[in-house]
Amino acid sequence: MNSPYASNLRQRSATRRDFLWQLGGGLGGVALTTLLAEQSARAASPQTPDARPHPQNPLAPKSAPSPARARAVIQIFCPGGLSHVDSWDWKPELAKRTGKPFDPTGTVQFFASKPGNCQGSYWSFRQHGQCGRWVSDLFPQFAKCVDDITFIHSMQSKSALHGPAMFMANSGFILPGFPSMGAWVTYGLGSENENLPAFVVLPDPRGLPPGGVINWGAGFLPAVHQGTPLNTDPELPPIADLFPPKNFAGITPQGEQAGRNFLQTLNRQHAAARAGNTELDARIAAYELAARMQLSAPEVTDLRGESDATKQLYTLADEDIGPFGRQCLLARRLVERGVRFVQIYCGAENTGAKKIRPNWDSHEDLVRDHGYWGRVLDTGAAALLTDLKARGLLDSTLVICTSEFGRQPGAQGKGRDHNAGAFTAWLAGGGIRGGTAYGTTDELGSKAEEHPAYSYDLHATALHLLGVDHERLSFYHNGVQRRLTDVHGHVLREILA
Amino acid sequence: MIRLLFRLLPLLASAWALRAAEPLAHWAYQPVVRPTLPTVKQSAWPRTDLDRFILAKLEAKGLQPSPEADPRTLIRRLYFDLLGLPPAPEEVETFVREFSLSHSPTVPPAIGESEKARKRESEHGAVARLVDRLLASPHYGERWARHWLDIAHYADTHGFERDQLRPNAWHYRDYVIASLNADKPYDQFLREQIAGDVLAEGSKVQGPKSKVAEAAPTKETGSQLSTFNSQNLAATGFLAAGPWDFVGQVETKSDVLKRAARADDLDDMVTQVLTASMGVTINCARCHDHKLDPISQREYYGLWAVFAGVKRGDRELDPAATARRETERKQLQTRLRAVSAELGRLSGEGLDLADMVGGGNGRGTGTKGAGLDLRTGSVVKDKLGYHRDSQLNRLQKPEWSDANTPKFVQWIFVPDGKAPVPIASQVTVSNLPPTSGHAWDAIRNGALNAQVSTTLDGVDFAAAGHSLLGLHANAGITFNLTEIRKASGFAKLRFTALVGFGAGPPAAATRADFSMFAGKELLFQKLKLRKDESARVDVALPDTAETLTLVATDGGDGIGNDLLFLGDAKLSLTVEAQSLAAADRARIETLRAEEKQLTAALAAKVDGDKVYAITSSEPPVVKVLRRGNPEDAQEEVAPGVLACVKHAPADFARAKTEGERRLALAEWITHPANPLTRRVLVNRLWHHHFGVGLVDTPSDFGKGGGVPSHPELLDWLAEEFLTRGWSVKAMHRLICTSAAYRQVSGYESVSVRGTKRAASAAPSLPHSHTLTPSHRLDASNRLLWRQHPRRLDAESTRDAVLAVSGKLNLAAGGPGFRDFKYTEAYAPIYDYITADTPELWRRSIYRFVVRTTPHTFMTTLDCPNPANLTPARTATTTALQALALSNNEFILQQARHFAARLERAAGADAASQITRAFHLAFARPPTREELAGATQLVRSDSLFALCRMLLNANEFVYVD
Repeated sequence: MNSPYASNLRQRSATRRDFLWQLGGGLGGVALTTLLAEQSARAASPQTPDARPHPQNPLAPKSAPSPARARAVIQIFCPGGLSHVDSWDWKPELAKRTGKPFDPTGTVQFFASKPGNCQGSYWSFRQHGQCGRWVSDLFPQFAKCVDDITFIHSMQSKSALHGPAMFMANSGFILPGFPSMGAWVTYGLGSENENLPAFVVLPDPRGLPPGGVINWGAGFLPAVHQGTPLNTDPELPPIADLFPPKNFAGITPQGEQAGRNFLQTLNRQHAAARAGNTELDARIAAYELAARMQLSAPEVTDLRGESDATKQLYTLADEDIGPFGRQCLLARRLVERGVRFVQIYCGAENTGAKKIRPNWDSHEDLVRDHGYWGRVLDTGAAALLTDLKARGLLDSTLVICTSEFGRQPGAQGKGRDHNAGAFTAWLAGGGIRGGTAYGTTDELGSKAEEHPAYSYDLHATALHLLGVDHERLSFYHNGVQRRLTDVHGHVLREILA
Repeated sequence: MIRLLFRLLPLLASAWALRAAEPLAHWAYQPVVRPTLPTVKQSAWPRTDLDRFILAKLEAKGLQPSPEADPRTLIRRLYFDLLGLPPAPEEVETFVREFSLSHSPTVPPAIGESEKARKRESEHGAVARLVDRLLASPHYGERWARHWLDIAHYADTHGFERDQLRPNAWHYRDYVIASLNADKPYDQFLREQIAGDVLAEGSKVQGPKSKVAEAAPTKETGSQLSTFNSQNLAATGFLAAGPWDFVGQVETKSDVLKRAARADDLDDMVTQVLTASMGVTINCARCHDHKLDPISQREYYGLWAVFAGVKRGDRELDPAATARRETERKQLQTRLRAVSAELGRLSGEGLDLADMVGGGNGRGTGTKGAGLDLRTGSVVKDKLGYHRDSQLNRLQKPEWSDANTPKFVQWIFVPDGKAPVPIASQVTVSNLPPTSGHAWDAIRNGALNAQVSTTLDGVDFAAAGHSLLGLHANAGITFNLTEIRKASGFAKLRFTALVGFGAGPPAAATRADFSMFAGKELLFQKLKLRKDESARVDVALPDTAETLTLVATDGGDGIGNDLLFLGDAKLSLTVEAQSLAAADRARIETLRAEEKQLTAALAAKVDGDKVYAITSSEPPVVKVLRRGNPEDAQEEVAPGVLACVKHAPADFARAKTEGERRLALAEWITHPANPLTRRVLVNRLWHHHFGVGLVDTPSDFGKGGGVPSHPELLDWLAEEFLTRGWSVKAMHRLICTSAAYRQVSGYESVSVRGTKRAASAAPSLPHSHTLTPSHRLDASNRLLWRQHPRRLDAESTRDAVLAVSGKLNLAAGGPGFRDFKYTEAYAPIYDYITADTPELWRRSIYRFVVRTTPHTFMTTLDCPNPANLTPARTATTTALQALALSNNEFILQQARHFAARLERAAGADAASQITRAFHLAFARPPTREELAGATQLVRSDSLFALCRMLLNANEFVYVD
């Protein structure tokens, strides 16, 4: 196999594999790439759909080891802590106890406060769709899609701090430095469109989420697997350095072409004298790929070809909702063009914006902040689901919506404090059974009760739908064959179609 | 106690014996034994003894070593390897001459054996001299510090959610550079990083005779003692170098969350120390016994106990010097205040209120830009953001750090606008409009955070001769008129100022209010002030008024954009300026001169140096945590080490203090008989010189790691390392002058030896047909039948671009350069800017590294995330890298500088320019074809276009 990685890495995984097989295998530590390498080495067999136009491209599409239901993933991330009890987790008992003490013993200490009285949802809940799932009035548009949705009500995090909990939700570890889910997915599966980055991130235009850029980092995986932020501002080039800065003197289209031709000639002569060093060929190919990306990336962000109906569906003209609608529409266009993993942020953190909390972290005024963000998410997510379905893309696209943790049923003034004990995530499309729910919280929504689940289980399930066994997708780093799911994770078979 | 120990000893010994008998005889835990030198057939090939180990393996497998690389390749390889910089063309030519002396016309063509030997000797001498020269360069430490900082996961911010600055972390980075340059013995280097604070204490008693002092850098003229003490203190920055979660450690009110954050903190320290020094993946035993290596969970927590009293934080680098400086500064300040007060009295100039906010006396002694935090009254220099949770109507007293600061500012507060604010007994401020109760930034002597405009009525109050008092809604400030009258000698006071908005276009519709009180009397109020308005205040203050209170409120529409400020807010004498006597005028001149001098002297007395390192406290009891859960503590554990490494027991019994625990561990790690420490280090050196270590997992010498390709060589190197006094430079010298290191890196050279011209004449042939037997038998080159070609890492790429463009700024040491715009906020914002000034053209090792917001350009080029311990960098090849190197503004600007440099050096002749360009970028002249192609590009487009492409060439970013 022509591995994309430096020869020392290749050698390392081989040694490691030998070692594990000597121990009898089954330790679940075999790098998936090695497996894939064996598959492709086994042959020239005509069944192998593993066509490799650019053998040096680490993002070349790789066939999933097992049958896949989903081809791509769109993940909507709501940073700050989305309140499950005000959105998707109906808690009538909490409503009944509104105003009564949440913690009569006075011993409980939340992240930033002592719990106040019980506080029921600030929005009424109603049943929706054929399935009759309960959704709060914060999400009237989204509620219409509920028959395509599975809710996981029993999500938990290992930290009630934004930074570590963000890292856990994205990478499976509360510490920074681990590869995010998108990085793992492209490491395992490559991309179907090499003219675009395999893992694209659409950050909130207001700023970065808590924990910053490393939420979509590649950790110790090769940097090619890190998320590439796509600039959602139509005035700016979609990808950093896609073109020279506007008005940089001395750069002309003819000059660009002449320069590139000279470079490739120079590089080919250089490579010819170093026959056998395939990394040099890969770098020559990378410049050709870059030139193609210059054509394909602006095409993705050019929305002129979209119909008025589509633009209205995503509410692009609205000052508050428009930016998120645009992110959702771009996600659909990216997936349509073969991008493997798209992550959308609905909320920021380190920003100087004022008046409204820059994300879902509603400590002091939940009605104000969730009211604002709820409207944004409701419109964008509903549009995305509707649009994907209408275009026949929902079956092959797994849509995930999550937060890093939930919020407390006991009040903190007019807001709610962090709750790592329970939150709700939802999934749709890509082999998910719609109109259902998995797991429960206790009667107040304080803690996961039935089938507690962590990001490990969500990640294991998503990988499974992509045709990847989460226990076999691994990478050696400082003594450990690392996985997205650490040593945990169960595929939630109950929610599969 | 001792008796108990004696009784336990046999038990312990038998336990050890039992373990030894177990089939745990992993190679890495066995003692290092000096192997005999292998015999080889091609006895002429080895240049050093290490080559015999390489050659013996090759011969055993029937492989041929590759020939020596040509001198141009060698000098470029050695420069990037040892300095991380390209060689200057003149250095290349000199080296080529020296190297090839045997080919010069004065020497007859080599035929006999003696001639061959002489030629080899000349080559060897040239290489050895070059290696020595490079190792003596200060840039050597800058290059190799990068490798060590990768292992230390060093960065200049905390990381996690509130990714705050660590402005004093750089002392540790400089310590590493200085230690490497001084060739500090590696065992001492490790001991200092683990327990330098204890060594610093100890050395005070021992005096500068100790071994530590000899290697200490002597850049300061101050006492030798204090210099090396502070260096030892800076060394412990190693333990603090990794990420740290402010929210979990400090901010949260939940003890559970605090314990979790502290657990991660200790895990980080233990892992860093054991992984860096001994290649033990200790962190695998946090939740259970290590799955592969014989390390128990209990042992892991024994190591926790060693570090249990260690916390990260700023620490005085040299407490004595700081105290001295503080005394001198106070004296200067006292004198300056007296001078300024007298000046004010004589000249009758107004007293500036903004200056008072900055801690001044109203005559310019205050700190420009400083502010008072509305929530606490503390003095802030950095910009703050949005405050939602301030206590309303609560008076905060300014917390001046210097007790001699004039007490002119009495209170600051965030008004709620409903209840009266009590300023003094019987004095309340009322009739304020209602407010949202939120606030922004601070009250400042200067522009506020995010302030867009500093101009009102055509006057720029940020300009010289004016002042600006930032007072964003909602904020109030009370000045103490009694104190001000007393200090200035002014009796009758008048308040004058211009009030307006410092906001940008979004403020068009916002409104804000300004109110002014003398005592409790509302003497001026402007409600619903518009963005395009300003209000002039000129009010005589009643003699009875003891306070002056200024309040900005939000106009009832939230605080967004309510960036109010006061221009030239002054208190002046109401009497007309009296005509001055001549004597007074002369006195004023003298005082002005003295004031200037004092101000300069004071500015020179900067804050005492601090280092972000560790603080030591009484270690709490450490217990084994079941499944690593801090809420599930089990049996207590004492400080301990790993039983699988048996060279010596660690002496924790004599450790009386927290620091001595670490010293005991450091001594155990650096014990000459420790089988891992030396092996791990020589393997790291090998890894960087060859691209792959003899053990290809440089930080994992456990069972899950790689098996050494040349176990005897590894041991031989480890023994040589000890023999040579733990000298890292001696090992570099050994490796870099070896025949193994000096081989060509190309594949086909062996089979087409002597027919190289044929190969280059047919560049279009498919690559595979020239594969050598060596390539077939050992494709991955584990046995080193050739050198590995390597791509420059992100830092070397950036440095090489600057070196070639002629703009590299070689200023060494000190605070890192910040190639970003920093905005203070709950989670600070880092916006990167193009490095377009000399300060930002320093070597990449001096880059201020931000954890949450890594530099996109650097990350794209595989610069690793400093959350990770990175023993080996990955090198990926991507389209985004191609885009970054072709289009990033930094590269384009440097390509332009490169072109200008060529024009300066080579005149207008294209051929000379191009030749010079190839020499600078590739250390060689262009071929005829290249010259023709380049000339065409320069003619059809520009020299800049050529320079840009040379910086993108494979030959530029790869080292053969």
